[in-house]
Amino acid sequence: MLSNIAIGTAGLAAMLALIVVRVPIAYAMILVGAAGISLIDGPRIVMSQLKNLPYSTFSNYDLSVLPMFVLMGALASRSGLSRDLFRAGNAWLGRLRGGLAMATVVACGGFGAVCGSSLATASTMGQVALPELRRLNYAPSLATGTLAAGGTLGILVPPSVVLIVYAIIIETNIVTLFAAALLPGLLAVLFFIVTIAIYVRLRPGSGPRGEAVSPHELRAATIGVLPVFLIFGIVIGGIYGGLYNPTPAAAIGVFLVALHGFGLRRLVLRDVVDSLLETARTAGFIYLILLGAALLSIFMSRAGVPQAVAEFLHGSGLSPLMILVLIIAIYLVLGCLMDSLSMIILATPFFWPVIAGLDYGLSVDDLKLWYGIITLVVVELGLITPPVGLNVFIINSLARDVPMRETFKGVMPFFASEIVRVTLLVAFPAIPLALPHWLS
Amino acid sequence: MAEDRPSGHESAAWARLPSLARAGPKVWALIGGIVLVALVLMTAGSAVSNLLFHRPYVADYDLVKHGVAIAIFTFLPYCEITHGNVTVDIFTERMGDRAKALMALLSSLVAAGLAVLLFRQMWLGMLDYMEYREVMISIPIPLWTAFPPALVSLALLFVAALVTGADAIGGLRAEAPGLRPTLG
Repeated sequence: MLSNIAIGTAGLAAMLALIVVRVPIAYAMILVGAAGISLIDGPRIVMSQLKNLPYSTFSNYDLSVLPMFVLMGALASRSGLSRDLFRAGNAWLGRLRGGLAMATVVACGGFGAVCGSSLATASTMGQVALPELRRLNYAPSLATGTLAAGGTLGILVPPSVVLIVYAIIIETNIVTLFAAALLPGLLAVLFFIVTIAIYVRLRPGSGPRGEAVSPHELRAATIGVLPVFLIFGIVIGGIYGGLYNPTPAAAIGVFLVALHGFGLRRLVLRDVVDSLLETARTAGFIYLILLGAALLSIFMSRAGVPQAVAEFLHGSGLSPLMILVLIIAIYLVLGCLMDSLSMIILATPFFWPVIAGLDYGLSVDDLKLWYGIITLVVVELGLITPPVGLNVFIINSLARDVPMRETFKGVMPFFASEIVRVTLLVAFPAIPLALPHWLS
Repeated sequence: MAEDRPSGHESAAWARLPSLARAGPKVWALIGGIVLVALVLMTAGSAVSNLLFHRPYVADYDLVKHGVAIAIFTFLPYCEITHGNVTVDIFTERMGDRAKALMALLSSLVAAGLAVLLFRQMWLGMLDYMEYREVMISIPIPLWTAFPPALVSLALLFVAALVTGADAIGGLRAEAPGLRPTLG
């Protein structure tokens, strides 16, 4: 008779093998989770769990915010908000050296404030900003690199699909998590701008100045971007202020974005249909992975694998800080292989017990926030690192004349700035924790 | 396969079947999307009403839970047929088309198998819910009402897996006549 831990390890290996031969991650998790539970507890248990588990997983109220934010982002991508944001960013920063790239970053951050997905932010902003950056003769690598990196702001600035999923897995409050993400998100915008400033200084000619705009255009562009701030203020501000829960807030957001789009005649029915189909595809795959995660985590905890990982790392003699750095390194490697959501869902159940059992001088609630924000930043780095870097692929599909290698090269300065930011977040937990503490 | 089918009326209907099987998941997902939009309007309205008049719609919590679950089920076949479920392609990128088609076939088989398994268990689950009648707290809607649409979704997921599987077999066949020496 095999020991449970051996079954668990074999199950993990089988799941990775399935994933390697391109079985969708969700299916692999469901299959191995169900098979594993029936090996340990007998098929009866898992069969009776399957009667209700899909419904109970999908009907989690806290999770219902996810499809609504996805729909909000899908509508926002089609209602020209990205154009407004870019225009304002250009009016504010365009005359600086590298200004148009900085404007792109600001616009990405603004778009991230109404959209919770990196890929949507990268592709939407890319369509708007790339032609302009190329027109002003920006170095191709700087142009595509800025957009690929800027796209990650979709996730780093709340609302954030990744944070919602993390909150569900780790059973923490989405509101405080969104609050914790705000300052680090703004910091990311700032760091990206500084990165561009340094880049154009070291490589003169890579980011020429744009023409200064008239005071009239400055005013018009600033007014044009007010709806974005208003929507963010009502949705995220309302959540922070406790006016309503995240789900109604997201619903109000969907309504406002649609109202704005239809009011300005930028949205037509076709856009709504496309947005719904995009939402179906995105929300469908995320929920299915979460169903897989529910089964897999039952299997793993019955097999004792997370406990064994925690014991092993706790007994390894490494300091808590070293263990955190090790986990960050593992995430960076995983990020080269899979998308951020799958990664968070797969890895968090193993790593969180390790972190929770160590002393970082924080309460459990604070630890959840701090570790969550750090995880968010490192998994997002996977979107811009070779070989998979999804954002890089998206931007490259928009700029076909720029070789992929150039884009990865252009992303490297931003990668470096993100490493600096992670180091700061690790060293100063107060950065993510300040706003949640102040709000409570 | 096409050549040994009977010609005439019957075959025309038969020929339409694949396109129907492809369109079904999309239409079904859009129906789920409409459910989602209805939930958006209801919960936004309820929150605003609560804010202004301290009068929320009491059933919004239960209905959102229930309705989102139904909507998500309707999305699953569309995810399968549009290859929306994320995979890790990096390890197998350099493999030949035939190997990729084989892997796609494996995925479709797994999807079809899971659809059957989940259909059977959720069918039994529905019977349980109907027997021990459980209703929502705020409004007397029985919980089993989520299961019929979920079962239709799983049946469509099975159909979608057949379609993606047929595409994969098509990929295998396309390769077959020109068998490269490396494969022999």
